[in-house]
Amino acid sequence: MQVTHVTELLSPFLDDEIAPREREQVQRHLEVCPECRLQLESLRATLRLVRSLHPVKVPDGFRDQVRSRLSAVGEGSRERRRIPRWSWHVAAAAAVLIIGVFSVNLFREIRPIEQAVAPERGGVNLGAPGVTDLRSAPPVAPSAAQPQKTFPQFDGRKIVRTAQLAIDVDQFDDASRRLVQIAERAGGFVAESSYAEDNGVPTGSFTLRVPAARFAAVLAELDALGEITQRQISGQDVTEEFVDLQARIRNLERHEQRLLSFMDRATKVSDLLAIEEQLARVRGEIEQLTGRMRFLERSADLATVAVAVKQKAKRTSGGLWDISGTLSKMRAAFLATARQIAAAVEWLGVTVSALVPVLLLAVGAWLIIRRLRVARSS
Amino acid sequence: MDEGILIAASRRGDAAAYDALVGAYQDRIYQVTYRVTGNPEDASDAAQEAFLKAFRSLRAFRGDAAFGTWLHRIAVNAALDIVRRRPPQTRDLPDAAATPTDAQDRELERRELQRRIHRAMLTLPTDQRVAVVLRDVQGLAYGEIASVLQVPVGTVRSRLSRAREALRHLLADLSPVAE
Repeated sequence: MQVTHVTELLSPFLDDEIAPREREQVQRHLEVCPECRLQLESLRATLRLVRSLHPVKVPDGFRDQVRSRLSAVGEGSRERRRIPRWSWHVAAAAAVLIIGVFSVNLFREIRPIEQAVAPERGGVNLGAPGVTDLRSAPPVAPSAAQPQKTFPQFDGRKIVRTAQLAIDVDQFDDASRRLVQIAERAGGFVAESSYAEDNGVPTGSFTLRVPAARFAAVLAELDALGEITQRQISGQDVTEEFVDLQARIRNLERHEQRLLSFMDRATKVSDLLAIEEQLARVRGEIEQLTGRMRFLERSADLATVAVAVKQKAKRTSGGLWDISGTLSKMRAAFLATARQIAAAVEWLGVTVSALVPVLLLAVGAWLIIRRLRVARSS
Repeated sequence: MDEGILIAASRRGDAAAYDALVGAYQDRIYQVTYRVTGNPEDASDAAQEAFLKAFRSLRAFRGDAAFGTWLHRIAVNAALDIVRRRPPQTRDLPDAAATPTDAQDRELERRELQRRIHRAMLTLPTDQRVAVVLRDVQGLAYGEIASVLQVPVGTVRSRLSRAREALRHLLADLSPVAE
């Protein structure tokens, strides 16, 4: 046939997927071309074969597999996110931190048990006014003539400071020696001391007079002597009495001057005697008041520290091993550890409480973010 | 349930709704992956991948094509992925019994015929094979095939022509009108 074959168009022709113009062309060609007719029939048979393919059956459980893989993708990530991975890291870090802080403090506390106990009880809680300030004040030599210079920081106030301490010491002799040293180094002295033996345990009482400016420093030094079992500190403000005394003395002195001038002008012996009697009375009063004033001044300038010293039950006296000493050490160690644990628990509680609002915020933010993410992904 | 509702629910991440869609489409999708990959194992893998990928990218599905067409595209790509990794293979069915009866004979003959056709299709270049599967197995129109493959209709037509011509030669002995 001179006409070009329509081989290319036979396939779409069979499918009826062909433009009307092309269909006409194919139909016209087929009428005149047995070769193409034959090919068309052959192609039609082939199509019939291909289309005779049976539908294959989906493997059993296919849908279940898809379903489980879907839930593994969706819920798997959701399940795992319920406990975020970083929370474990945070928990581990917190645990390490807590344990670290705890053990460091524990070690620091256990090693110097003796020191750890004493400063706690002996910590400076001086209730007397201005005593802590005195500590930093430069030592001033006591001077009765210039009382206002003694306490420049108190506007000339007169305060009588007294302290009473009871100390348990390891070695009585050593402690009494150091007591005297403390008093003298501070520019004071031991005004009184006594010694006694109570059931073979040496005890003693000492009264120290030290410059008021050194009062707090002396107390601190005494703390180091041994175990303070009793402590009482008082500060008595005698400024008012002092000023009152000064005024009364001035009045009496003026009275005395007048009496002396009367005596100069007196002519009768009886007058002279009467005046002299008066003078003696006034003079006596002045002496008395001045004495009181001096006493107050001294009291204010020199603080009084009464120390009762008792020697602890001797460690060496019992023999090789001092059981009570060991027991008290154990008790101290136990208490220290228990206190430490309690402090750690308290710290943990406080910290957790402090973190709760933050955690709530974080959880809220996380939920919102997750909600947004899910909304975006669906 | 209406497919549109199921699709909308699936887009919101509703796995149950999507499961219903899987149930509705698994047979049709499996035909494609089976005829393209050539064996049940690969076909099942490809179909599973296709359904999972479709679920993940459902929000990218804007409905400008029919859902079925869109799903076919994903399935074809999933099957081609597997074919690219390992060329199509057929799993020969176990051989028939030694002394077949007449009924068994006919059944065997029928099965053999199916196998011949199946194998013939697997010898085609993949793009022609895909075109034949979509047209003669799935019964899609040229326009739909063009949409699935995202090629012009003319390309679909020529691929089909060449594929059928090849098949006509491959299966010539089975055809009564063969030359």
